[in-house]
Amino acid sequence: MSAEVSAVFLVRGSTDELVPAELRDGIGELELQHWEHHWRPYLIERVRAMQAQGVPRAKWPQQLHWNWRLKATVAEMFLGQRGFATRCEGMTQGLMLVGLLSDARIVEQRGKPLVYVDYLEAAPWNQSSLQRPPKYRGVGSLLIHAAVTLSVEETFSGRTGLHSLPQSDTFYRNVCGMTDLGLDAAKQNLRYFEMTPEQAQVFLKKGR
Amino acid sequence: MPEPTKRTMTLNLSDEEMRVLDSLAERKDLTKTAVLRQALRLYQMVSVRGERGEKLVFENEETKEKAELMLL
Repeated sequence: MSAEVSAVFLVRGSTDELVPAELRDGIGELELQHWEHHWRPYLIERVRAMQAQGVPRAKWPQQLHWNWRLKATVAEMFLGQRGFATRCEGMTQGLMLVGLLSDARIVEQRGKPLVYVDYLEAAPWNQSSLQRPPKYRGVGSLLIHAAVTLSVEETFSGRTGLHSLPQSDTFYRNVCGMTDLGLDAAKQNLRYFEMTPEQAQVFLKKGR
Repeated sequence: MPEPTKRTMTLNLSDEEMRVLDSLAERKDLTKTAVLRQALRLYQMVSVRGERGEKLVFENEETKEKAELMLL
């Protein structure tokens, strides 16, 4: 599959300088190889170190069990799912899968379609809980920006929803400005966040 | 993001089908094209998963009563 590519920027964590990057509409074989041969070994090494230091399991990276090859392969079969990746200095820095067949839950938007972020993960060296300073900052914002932009392009007015892993709750609430609809017993008790069209406008104006 | 290539087709609908399309577009706050695109995405997903032997079940939020959609 040939991906559409947009020029974007990430922020180098050590110097705060902007670094040219790519946003790719699609998750290809190269991105999956980066996940398998670079992300996974790094993540496993960090978890082993945490284990040796006695860090409780609840503080380990919560996306440890995610299999991007399986997820991307399934998503590619369906028109209602889309994958995105960001690449910087030759390496995949973030991956995201979204669905286009979910409806909004906020009362005044209820029943209207939204882009649902199924999975979003920054490369482990970009996660401040695993590396300080992270190699690049802004991966999460960049991918959420892509999801909201897709929502606008699909005429969903920017409506975007997701279930957040506990380590990311603050990011979606404070950085993305999404509404917190509370814990969802039907989805492993994860917190559900939603962005209204008005919140989407504010978020998009901030830029990526 | 760059726009993917799109193709145009003419669609003939009955008055009743057009009324349903208009109504869905209004209720869902979508263009009619977007409603049909959503319908295609949903139909594809239901078909593929049905072919895999999976069932589509509707559950009433209050009564928890379940009804299976029969795919023919």
